[in-house]
Amino acid sequence: MPRVFITGLGFVTSIGNDAATVAANLRALRHGFELYPPFQKPEIACKVVGTIKGFSTDSVDPEDWTFPAAYEIKRETIRSMAPHGLFAHCAFLQAVADARLGEADISNRNTGLYAASGGSPMLTYFHHDRLLKLGPARCSPLGIVASIVGTLNFNLVAAFRIQGASCGFSSACASSAHAAAYAFDEISLGRQARMFVVGGEDGNRDAILPFAGMRTLSLQTDPDLASRPFDVARDGFVGTGGGVVVVLESEAEVARRGVAPYCELVAWGQASDGYNVAISHPDGAGSQLAMEKALASARMAPGDVDYVNAHATSTLIGDVSEARALKSVFGEKGDRPAISSTKALTGHGLSLAGAMEVGFCALAMREGFIPGSAHISNLDPACEGLNIVRTTRAGAPRVVLKNSSGFGGANVALILRGT
Amino acid sequence: MPESAQSNVSSNKPFPLTPKPFAPDDEAALREALKRCSPSTFEAAVQFRKTGNADHMPAVVIGVIERFVEPDLRAKLKDADDDLRLIEDLGIDSLTMMEIVILVEDVLQLTINNDELRNLRTVGDVKTFIDCKIRGLPLPRPTKFLPIEHIGAVMPVQPPFLFLNEASVSSTGANGKYKITGQEFFLQGHFKDNPVMPASIMLEALGQLAVLFLLEGSPAEPGKAIGANTIYFTGCEGVRAHRMCKPGDILTLSIKPKRMKMPLATFEGAIRVGQEKAVIAEDITLTFAYVESAVAPAMINGAAQPAPDSENGANPPLRVAINA
Repeated sequence: MPRVFITGLGFVTSIGNDAATVAANLRALRHGFELYPPFQKPEIACKVVGTIKGFSTDSVDPEDWTFPAAYEIKRETIRSMAPHGLFAHCAFLQAVADARLGEADISNRNTGLYAASGGSPMLTYFHHDRLLKLGPARCSPLGIVASIVGTLNFNLVAAFRIQGASCGFSSACASSAHAAAYAFDEISLGRQARMFVVGGEDGNRDAILPFAGMRTLSLQTDPDLASRPFDVARDGFVGTGGGVVVVLESEAEVARRGVAPYCELVAWGQASDGYNVAISHPDGAGSQLAMEKALASARMAPGDVDYVNAHATSTLIGDVSEARALKSVFGEKGDRPAISSTKALTGHGLSLAGAMEVGFCALAMREGFIPGSAHISNLDPACEGLNIVRTTRAGAPRVVLKNSSGFGGANVALILRGT
Repeated sequence: MPESAQSNVSSNKPFPLTPKPFAPDDEAALREALKRCSPSTFEAAVQFRKTGNADHMPAVVIGVIERFVEPDLRAKLKDADDDLRLIEDLGIDSLTMMEIVILVEDVLQLTINNDELRNLRTVGDVKTFIDCKIRGLPLPRPTKFLPIEHIGAVMPVQPPFLFLNEASVSSTGANGKYKITGQEFFLQGHFKDNPVMPASIMLEALGQLAVLFLLEGSPAEPGKAIGANTIYFTGCEGVRAHRMCKPGDILTLSIKPKRMKMPLATFEGAIRVGQEKAVIAEDITLTFAYVESAVAPAMINGAAQPAPDSENGANPPLRVAINA
């Protein structure tokens, strides 16, 4: 089976719009939260969002958007995008440059793209409202491809002339972890030589506020305290958006092109809670099984894992559920592995989260650190016994496990290894 | 009018002759709709909405098209003739075409059906189409592009005396191109060691394009067609040559019918090289005759066009276009 390596990364996130900034902020535990202007209203209880800086995508008309001057995007390309399509498009350009890929490396029969996003609630609403009020004749012909789930892969595949496998993944907050996992399979089964893994979310009012209806958002008004996974006082997650692209390549392609990969994507596993549509299993049964399957697939023992980048979003039930799953896999005592949730810094990127955090892990492995789990003042007693690191540690983790969980109790665990 | 809402003619709703009062709110909405268009586009739209005068329409349509064309291609539109092609020359795909239509509909307060769009291939097609919509005239037949094989098959003139490489014919005129290769036999003597395309030959080329229009673009009467061997030159007036044309030049020819009444058809014609005027002919008159056609007259693009209905006085598109 061909081995699979991460060779390129691109980021548009709440903690930075390039790999260097993201790495620096992860290391220094600087978060990307702000009081989000559209939420500063009496009827909206949640106030804080992991905002994207340097982009303005509030308008429903993409031609109104502004973005860093380094990116040139033609009208015919941007007109069918959702805000997260723009974020991911920019991240894609970064990843391509980072992996030193030429046009011919991107557009060929052995290069594919798997993406995940929740679609664009803002544009869905806008176009549908217009449809019902003004009739179809006054509607943009591109309203559908700009807004439905799948908009991310439609747009990127067309813009970059992808000819290999392409697909969108929809398992809510596990979506882009699934995208990375199945992209790994495409290469390890020999079907593709290279895969782009893309996660994106608008991260705006319309994408985040529905979670207030579920009462899962933090109501903290202090950006420094809003997201604190594993802390006893956590009160929900902080929403965020952005776009992240991870380039996966086969061993043969890495050798042929002579590039130095960030790390190897070794194996993955998945399992479902079979429990509740939105509440995670109290003992993290699905998450535990996903980790065990990933380790078995990697032919590794739990003791081989140096670092776990947790799914932990800072919700009351979810964090404990994952902590129990981690204890079941790694044992109650001991200093291995180090565990942290980088959502304390970025917020929860929903469909973006898995790919974003795989990117963070790859950065940490190359740059030689383990990001701490920020904003913990009082560790939740339910998490005691786990080595949740509160400060950044020097030294590259050799084996990293990345957890992701989504609605319906979908759980994915990915295993990375240093090169 | 019978219930035949499917046909282009009956689906074509005339613009109300008395325009609705144009309120300040309308102006604000118009300004917003045209915010990415040139100021002159907005001004033309305001004038059109205030007066209903169709003369303002071309500026609006061109302004809207320009707004959807990539900036590096907009220069083409600035000096465009009506033969500029939307897809090939301006990179407009069918989705962009829809965006253009939605904005034009909004600004000019028209309704355009999908099936009416399919045949709009050139800037001229769009202008003519919108003009007909506004005036409540029957829609013209679409532009037909003729490759050299087709031209050779229908023309009575043949090489080495055929001076058209390609042509397009619509109900309102014809356009063509001819590249002076330098191999033309008459250039050996015109002039000694100095090949210059004779003005008389350029006039001949315009005449050939007019012949092609008569054969491919003009509507015949039912059961009759213009006979290829009945068309001859009778006269021309107002001919001026502005520029010498030499081997390597690509002549862009255009003719428009001015009057057409059996047995005479009069055209105006022009030749350009790039953006430079080369030859102008105010009047080129040909004589022609009808012959019995064994089959129904060939229609442009094979589109089934309802025969002109003499009972309700509907005019065939060409005549309408000329009278307009």
